[in-house]
Amino acid sequence: MSSHREAPEISKDPVADSSDLYAFVSPDDPDTVTIIANYVPMQLPASGPNFFEFGDDVLYEIHIDSNGDARPDLTYQFRFRTELRNNNTFLYNTGQIKSLDDPNWNRRQFYSVTKVDAHGKSTVLHSKLPCPPCNVGKISIPDYEKLASDAVKKLKTGEKVFAGQRADAFFVDLGSIFDLGTLRPFQDKHLVGKTLFNYAGKAVNALDKLNVHSIAIQVPLAAVRRGGKKAVRGRDPGAVIGIWTSASRRQVQVRQGDKKNADVEVGPQVQVSRLGNPLFNEVIVPMAQKDLWNSLSPAEDKRFAGFVEKPELASLLPVLYPGLFDNLAKLNKAKTPRADLVAILLTGIPDGLIKDFQNTTGATKADMLRLNTAVPPAKDPKAFGLLAGDLAGFPNGRRIEDDVVSISIRAIAGVTFALVDQTFKPDAAAGLVEQGLSIKNVSSKLLKKFPFLGTPFDGFDNP
Amino acid sequence: MSRVRYGSRAVNRLSRRRVLAIAATAGVGVSVAGVTGLSLAGETAAKDDGQPLVISLRDASKGTFDIFSGGSKTTLTDKKLAARLLKAVKR
Repeated sequence: MSSHREAPEISKDPVADSSDLYAFVSPDDPDTVTIIANYVPMQLPASGPNFFEFGDDVLYEIHIDSNGDARPDLTYQFRFRTELRNNNTFLYNTGQIKSLDDPNWNRRQFYSVTKVDAHGKSTVLHSKLPCPPCNVGKISIPDYEKLASDAVKKLKTGEKVFAGQRADAFFVDLGSIFDLGTLRPFQDKHLVGKTLFNYAGKAVNALDKLNVHSIAIQVPLAAVRRGGKKAVRGRDPGAVIGIWTSASRRQVQVRQGDKKNADVEVGPQVQVSRLGNPLFNEVIVPMAQKDLWNSLSPAEDKRFAGFVEKPELASLLPVLYPGLFDNLAKLNKAKTPRADLVAILLTGIPDGLIKDFQNTTGATKADMLRLNTAVPPAKDPKAFGLLAGDLAGFPNGRRIEDDVVSISIRAIAGVTFALVDQTFKPDAAAGLVEQGLSIKNVSSKLLKKFPFLGTPFDGFDNP
Repeated sequence: MSRVRYGSRAVNRLSRRRVLAIAATAGVGVSVAGVTGLSLAGETAAKDDGQPLVISLRDASKGTFDIFSGGSKTTLTDKKLAARLLKAVKR
């Protein structure tokens, strides 16, 4: 999966665990960029009486680098606060919830939005915005879509924000991929799978009908571009921004047992989760360093560059699928650093490799989701993004419907190495391999407007 | 997110699960030998009078303490205080 439970320590702390990050020029308002950071992954919809929520003790941040130094030039901070209306009930809601201030809704969550500029100056943009409730069920919440829509707020400074539960739109066949790298459509070609199957299998979206908590913000492009430009050419370095999200906790917590209100949380914030490109920490970074990676800034990522230059998965593919990745095996044997993957994941794609496209942020090696903001939204988005000639798709930012798993597998399999070495001929399988899923395997349909992610699955119909 | 925070690699590398803390209330009578203040943009430096602070004896042999208060961490060295605390907990 993109980054759900991707590191040993953070997998035990789901409230602070970033699972997916999306960034794209907004199709509903092309003068803005939409950024969505998902947390609290893999929520079963039927989770009463204590439904999911953000952590009041977690600092959630979305960072934007506009000058390529892998340090934030603009950060949005989100802090949450839970309020209980009725101390004498065990219920989340004591009747139907028909509005965001409905007295029947017992446990509500609010959040503040703070903007921090490149100099560290912070400004509270709003101190109390409402989250919608979790989608308990249609008995409790007869019109969930209205509540969610009411929770979309436009700030005086021009940003649009939303924070709350959404259907997880990431699609991945976790069950097969982490069962020795099996892709069900190719299970009969797999080293072990071919002893069990003589037919291609059908992929299963392991995350379907699960929810997440999303922090979504839509920001005017001029506010995120270097120099505040309202319009830029695609070749302009100032057109490209780098994006990542992080979650932090106070360095010290002292629990006082029955004196709950006396619990102490003090000290600087310590970063416990980070996410830029999908799958970076999950697939590239060795398990022993995943939690370290989570604690660091993208500016530190050069220390992980070796894992990008020689990714473990590239060495596994020829072994797991004998005879299908012979050219990749030769490339691995030659120990040629994967400059293509370094460009895609760490520096951005320089001008000249792909016609009329670049999203480089310079020489600093950093895992950030890079978006050339001069590329308008595609009229006919392709799930394979840049690999399919769709310049508005991953790895130029990331749209919700992009098949980042298949794109990443193809890239690691060698498809993109030909961009940097024209003498290299990718294996035929590298251009065909895919996980066998698409956004159509997500049961909750995407919205056509902000915050785009679909209505969360309700607990009544998804027990 | 401040640049200051990203410069604080030593702090970031600390596992929150490894922090051994001694809770105390404000008013520790020791002199500050060295201070490495750490602040975070957006973490308002409000007055913490009366608020709890937490002291961690990071290196008993050198008497190095980390003092966590509000959103900041301050380091001081006091061998005598370290010795008294160790005696108090029979170590």
